Amino acid sequence: MSRPATGGHFTVSAGDFRLELSFAAPAGSILVLFGPSGAGKTTALRTIAGLARPESGRIEIAGRTVFAGNESSDSGPTWLPPHRRRVGYVTQQNHLFPHLTVWQNVSYGLERRRREPARRRVAELIERLRLDGLEERRVWQLSGGQQQRTALARALAPSPDLLLLDEPFASLDMELRRELGAELRDTIAQLDVPAILVTHSREEALALGDRVQIIDAGRTVAEGPPLAVLEQPGQGRVARLVGVENLLDMRVSARRPQDGTMVCAAGERTLETPLADGCAVGDAVTVGIRASDIILASGPLPQSSARNTWAGVVAGVELRPPGYEVALDCEGTLLRCHITGTSLEAMGIEAGQPLWAIFKASSCFLLSE
Amino acid sequence: MGRGNGGAALGALAPAGVAATIIYTLFIGLPILALLVRAGQQEGIVAGLTGPATLQALRLTAITSVTSLAIVIVAGTPFALLLARRRWPLLRVVDAFVELPIVLPPVVAGVAMLMAFGRHGLLGPALASVGIALPFTTGAVIFAQIFVAAPFYIRAARIGFAGVDPTYEEVSQTLGVSPWATFWRVTLPVAWPSLLTGATLAWARAVSEFGATIMFAGNLTGRTQTMPLAIMTTMESSLGEALALAALMLLMSALALGLLGFLLRRREEATA
Repeated sequence: MSRPATGGHFTVSAGDFRLELSFAAPAGSILVLFGPSGAGKTTALRTIAGLARPESGRIEIAGRTVFAGNESSDSGPTWLPPHRRRVGYVTQQNHLFPHLTVWQNVSYGLERRRREPARRRVAELIERLRLDGLEERRVWQLSGGQQQRTALARALAPSPDLLLLDEPFASLDMELRRELGAELRDTIAQLDVPAILVTHSREEALALGDRVQIIDAGRTVAEGPPLAVLEQPGQGRVARLVGVENLLDMRVSARRPQDGTMVCAAGERTLETPLADGCAVGDAVTVGIRASDIILASGPLPQSSARNTWAGVVAGVELRPPGYEVALDCEGTLLRCHITGTSLEAMGIEAGQPLWAIFKASSCFLLSE
Repeated sequence: MGRGNGGAALGALAPAGVAATIIYTLFIGLPILALLVRAGQQEGIVAGLTGPATLQALRLTAITSVTSLAIVIVAGTPFALLLARRRWPLLRVVDAFVELPIVLPPVVAGVAMLMAFGRHGLLGPALASVGIALPFTTGAVIFAQIFVAAPFYIRAARIGFAGVDPTYEEVSQTLGVSPWATFWRVTLPVAWPSLLTGATLAWARAVSEFGATIMFAGNLTGRTQTMPLAIMTTMESSLGEALALAALMLLMSALALGLLGFLLRRREEATA
């Protein structure tokens, strides 16, 4: 990476709440801070932006130390105020200045706004974020998507060293979210600026994150590539935070090292999972299965490579945009499966109907507490 | 159900409302009309308007009210911002007393100021020892006007600043704009309608100030006799001159109100 590093670690308190965070944001990539509301995600962004003051730690933005606590005793504490940190900050409600036009908002952070270089910069961002023709509009005359694009353009205009995005798409509908998310990814990659995105949407974290850090109650509880952390989390606590739909309490009943699998059972129900080294027969385990990894069929497949087939009865169907969630009652164990509206219609699924749930052993993952 | 035709409550009260509207309009309108008609009928109205006493009162009122307003704005703006943004216990106590002068009879304010700054007041000897005698000077007029007018501006400005989400200011700072520049480029423009309304009310109150002025500053032509005092004085000698002054003040008030409405509307069209 050509750019100097952005990252750090700090402890910050607000009342009883205490947040400890280590982070690294490489240029051109998006670090996602994921977690429930109240976890400290926004506090993290505010601290990095200089809007909240940490007690200790060190924060560097593009190689510049913007905060250094007591530990660097040789030089004393360092503190750069927000307006000297060169960060772009986009909030959920976008906070566009209501007394200014789109053009005035985007050019707000530029010096010598009326001169040619500034004009070119604003025109370039307005074109990139497809705001052409809206330059003289007032903020309230814009749609939600246009407002967020304007906020993004405003944050990018002064060429920040770090982009901080606090649930920037939370107030938009799903389609617009996807569209803007893709634009954001491209923009960040092209401008080669590091970004930290705060969200509590798993889809957003998966779609946008190059790396995910899961924050809960002021601490990082898991971090890594989004697919690994969000789709097959290793800890029960993390699984609940990221919303794994099926968590089954079972016992290991057999090990099959030749297949690399083991059999887990709960009463009469058994299923095959990947072999875990630390597990012996008889151990209690929690098995996680994503609802989208389960195939529903109107009968058992005559021959398939999937190791698990459970028979059940449809207990209920719920709308879960963009598709549906079918709850399948498998002799007392409720299995949640996600399917599309088209499949729901084609199979004529309704409550009381018998169905088969089919899923691979590799879709099952073991959770430790 | 309700909104379109005014709601159930209005339905019951509509006849009383219409009657009250007519009576109120006449109640306020008739005296104003009468003043204008009588002033127009008066002989020598032009002479009255350009007479030395009128011109002196007009000049003094302009100077003192503009000075008072300037002091109120310069000191009241940061004060109002603090009241809007901080919840310090002591500040809340101060907050509770800010509007006292609005409900206090001006004459009482005048007496109180005499007791504080008068020759025999609390600070009188101290002021006298450095050669300052405040009562019955133009300075006293300004003191009296500030005393009664400041709360109108501070109250409106505080409401205006409270309506500016501090996140706007934070976003501004992340865009590289210092806190001082952020105040001028975000906080002030967003709160502008409230500040303008407050300043207009405060100026109008300063111009019309009578009770505290006559108590604390007296009624000296050219030095402390502002227009309201001049009207009072000339009523005894020349009705014509008094009417001319009264009509002039009416005109000034109407102009101030019109200008405020124009500025607020222009701003509304631009932003909301």
